[in-house]
Amino acid sequence: MDTLLSLLHGFTVALEPSKLLFCLIGVFLGTAVGVLPGIGPALTVALLLPVTFKLDPGGSLIMFAGIYYGGMYGGSTTAILLNAPGESASLATALEGSKMAKAGRGGPALATSAIGSFVAGLIATIGLAFLAPWLVEVAVKFGPWDYFALMIVAFVTVSATFGDSPLRGLTSLFLGIALGLIGIDKLTGQARLTFGVPELLNGVEVTTLAVGLFAVGEAFYVASKRFRDPEEIIPIKGSLWMTKEDWKRSWAPWLRGTAFGFPIGALPAGGAEVPTFLSYSTEKKLCKYPDEFGKGAIEGVAGPEAANNASAAGTLVPLLTLGLPTSATAAIMLAGFQQYGLNPGPLLFAEKPDLVWGLIASLFIANVMLVILNLPLIGLWVRLLAIPQPWLYAGILVFATMGTLAVNGSPVELTMLFAFGFIGYLMRRYDYPVAPMVVGLILGPMAEAQLRRALQISLGDPMILLQNPISATLLGIAFLALVAPFVMKGLNRFKASED
Amino acid sequence: MTNETRAQGADKPALIVGVLLLAVAFLVGYDASQQTITSTYGIGPTAMPYVVACGLVVLGLAHFVTAFRGGLPKPDAADSQALLWIAGGLVCLIGCIGLGGGFVIAIALLFACTSRGMGRQALAVDLAIGFVLGLAIYLTFAKLLTLILPSGPLERLFL
Amino acid sequence: MLTSILKRGAITAVALAALSTAAFAQLNELKIMAPAAPGGGWDGTARSMQQALTGAGIVKSVQVNNVTGAGGTIGLSQLIGAKGQGDQLMVNGFVMVGAILLNKSPVNLTQITPIARLTAEAEVIVVPAESPLKTAKDLAEKLKADPAKVTWAGGSAGGTDHILAALFAQAVGADAKKINYIPFSGGGEALAAMLGGRVTAGVSGYGEFEGQIKAGKLRVLAVSSPKRLENAPDAPTLKEQGIDLELLNWRSVVAPPGLSAEQTKALTDTVEKMAKSKEWQEILKARGWDDAFLAGPAFDSFLKNEIERVGKVMHEVGLVK
Repeated sequence: MDTLLSLLHGFTVALEPSKLLFCLIGVFLGTAVGVLPGIGPALTVALLLPVTFKLDPGGSLIMFAGIYYGGMYGGSTTAILLNAPGESASLATALEGSKMAKAGRGGPALATSAIGSFVAGLIATIGLAFLAPWLVEVAVKFGPWDYFALMIVAFVTVSATFGDSPLRGLTSLFLGIALGLIGIDKLTGQARLTFGVPELLNGVEVTTLAVGLFAVGEAFYVASKRFRDPEEIIPIKGSLWMTKEDWKRSWAPWLRGTAFGFPIGALPAGGAEVPTFLSYSTEKKLCKYPDEFGKGAIEGVAGPEAANNASAAGTLVPLLTLGLPTSATAAIMLAGFQQYGLNPGPLLFAEKPDLVWGLIASLFIANVMLVILNLPLIGLWVRLLAIPQPWLYAGILVFATMGTLAVNGSPVELTMLFAFGFIGYLMRRYDYPVAPMVVGLILGPMAEAQLRRALQISLGDPMILLQNPISATLLGIAFLALVAPFVMKGLNRFKASED
Repeated sequence: MTNETRAQGADKPALIVGVLLLAVAFLVGYDASQQTITSTYGIGPTAMPYVVACGLVVLGLAHFVTAFRGGLPKPDAADSQALLWIAGGLVCLIGCIGLGGGFVIAIALLFACTSRGMGRQALAVDLAIGFVLGLAIYLTFAKLLTLILPSGPLERLFL
Repeated sequence: MLTSILKRGAITAVALAALSTAAFAQLNELKIMAPAAPGGGWDGTARSMQQALTGAGIVKSVQVNNVTGAGGTIGLSQLIGAKGQGDQLMVNGFVMVGAILLNKSPVNLTQITPIARLTAEAEVIVVPAESPLKTAKDLAEKLKADPAKVTWAGGSAGGTDHILAALFAQAVGADAKKINYIPFSGGGEALAAMLGGRVTAGVSGYGEFEGQIKAGKLRVLAVSSPKRLENAPDAPTLKEQGIDLELLNWRSVVAPPGLSAEQTKALTDTVEKMAKSKEWQEILKARGWDDAFLAGPAFDSFLKNEIERVGKVMHEVGLVK
């Protein structure tokens, strides 16, 4: 009850007309900057933070929330329309979203992503308000072995993105893991596979690989077959808005995506990528139209987008209750708090209830504002696809390189983008799936670091993975997910031979 | 198509991929063998590279097997001219940034070459469009976000 | 009458202006490089400097550019390439000293012109509240008994936290090579490992653990500063507990090599003026940074000492061979 009262009080702070205006400006700016590929929500907030300096704490906080949600949504817009995932968490969105956009269903894709984000943000923010203290107790109990087991579950389930050939899928995945080895080893500070190139010490940037393989690779591919088999992009086919069918197919993925995103996001090292992958593969398994996956299934956009947003709200749980910035975005949020002399942590709720509840309330409002602002914009976004193809692809390449240049403008990084683009083209040509490569690059280093931390704590005893209940359970799930398809196949064959 | 390749024996692309995978595996393994610093506790920085290298060897060998059993999917012939234009655009971009020519010119070149590769026949017009686009982006970043994109002589005029 | 007063006033103003330019060569333009991605600590310092310098009217136009990669060493080599350019500064700090060695960087900090140290933060060694260890001495005893059993959580390998753990082991007479230090990405993860009771001790900047310390979830064994901290007067220093060790995580600005004496002076004056400005002091307060301004020969020799000390300990720990 106290929570509810505090929250209501927060709303009275956040609902003044001037505050609403700041929120609207924030959402707009956040969306505008967030659509640039390579500039994810964290960087968006970092870049726009100075804008908020000039306002009073309340106004600046709400603008901040607006920028943050705007940045998140902007990222998925580029992933869907241009097939250029600007951050690792929108990778799963790009898979189905871009296919939908090309088939004239960009409108519903953007709508399900906006509304899914809204629903997920809403539920997760409620979760944040009411469950945070309890959830965080569970979250800090997660040890390195548990994270490692979680990564293994993610690895096993993303085999859903492999396409029809396990050989080509695994090849792509392993090449991604190999790319993940490049750079400074986190645990010993040693350089691996850098060949004396200092630019490689920081490793391969996920966005460089993703944008290279997805956007640049596709530009090559489309150009290469332009005479023989010209690509057809239909800006709008059927309704711009979600149909009844779309709603029916979206609501469950939204809720499931939230269920993955919020708790995993609340884990100090959970991240946003794992829940989006888990959501994608779950939706693929549960979908009534599995054939549509890979050709633009709306579930594949609705689920991961909800998971992505819910996990963002999830990272606020350790941030607000413990003062733990567990993601790049959360670290920036922390900087945002500190500009008002707020120090997130166990005492924050007690010491500055106004600002905390004000922030939580402004997250709700920013969420609503985002939907209001972006739904009408969808029509405009989709028209982008009506640009003549040469200009469209030239523009996509300009956007792709701009994102790389803004974050890391070295010729080495650009060369990598180009090389990945060409590899992406060849992979498309010979029907290798590109997504597992990015998945390998994201999950490989995470899994390795957690396993090595676990073994460092246990002084080299691998049994630690099975002695802890959470990791043992997760590994059990992974094992089942791995063998289940084979067992099912065996059973079917057995049945068939009986008949 | 498939019958022809079968008659020749092995599928060339699959063989090439197999060889490349073995080469990458060798590279990863060799690099790991050169590491001098190991962890005192748990597993060191070389364990994962060796696992990956082994995986790549298995996949490489599997590609050889595939090469003799049908091979990779057969793609259509590619329009190499289009590919060259786009690749040329990207090379121009990298060269321009690397040599200090600045963002705007680099973007103009990339834009023009790409749209030429995609079939437009108006290089000069596209150069102009790319130039305006690049300039707009540059100014937005510099003025609004205080993020300085790579600058050349041209960009310095506007700052 | 009135005109004459105005005139006299105007003359004084002109004279004053002339005087001030003579004493202080004002820079019109300044480029500050943050050798890290936007949003990080060095970037924050660079952008705060930009804010203070322009806000206080010390320099008209200040540009911040980011050069990412390799612990800042890519930025460093660019700065060294900008030989003789007196309108450039780069933000760096303690972490870069280690990064240069760790990355086997071909360039190093002896090749640049040191300008000034700006901020410093004390490190703390903490244990979970339920830990049986009460003092730094207890930790030292445990470490001497079996270094493998003492797991340390902290930031990146070869970073400030790691170096403090190694120096601590050395100072108490344990084998620094055998410390079981587990690097986590970012203070947040290390903190979670501490709260979850996964590790014996944690090392980090005081600011990152402050909330938990005040809430009583973590216990401070020692702070690494020479004196007790103002905002944590109960936390004893290492020195007080008989461990001869001091370490501050500092940030500074440096300039390209090959500057003339005037150029160096102009830059030093500019930075000093900024460090004393109201605007900068406000930023320090808002961000929770400690003022540690140090310029001139004193900073030069400080930097030299730090390079030597870090080099030695990294060899001894086996981070560099």
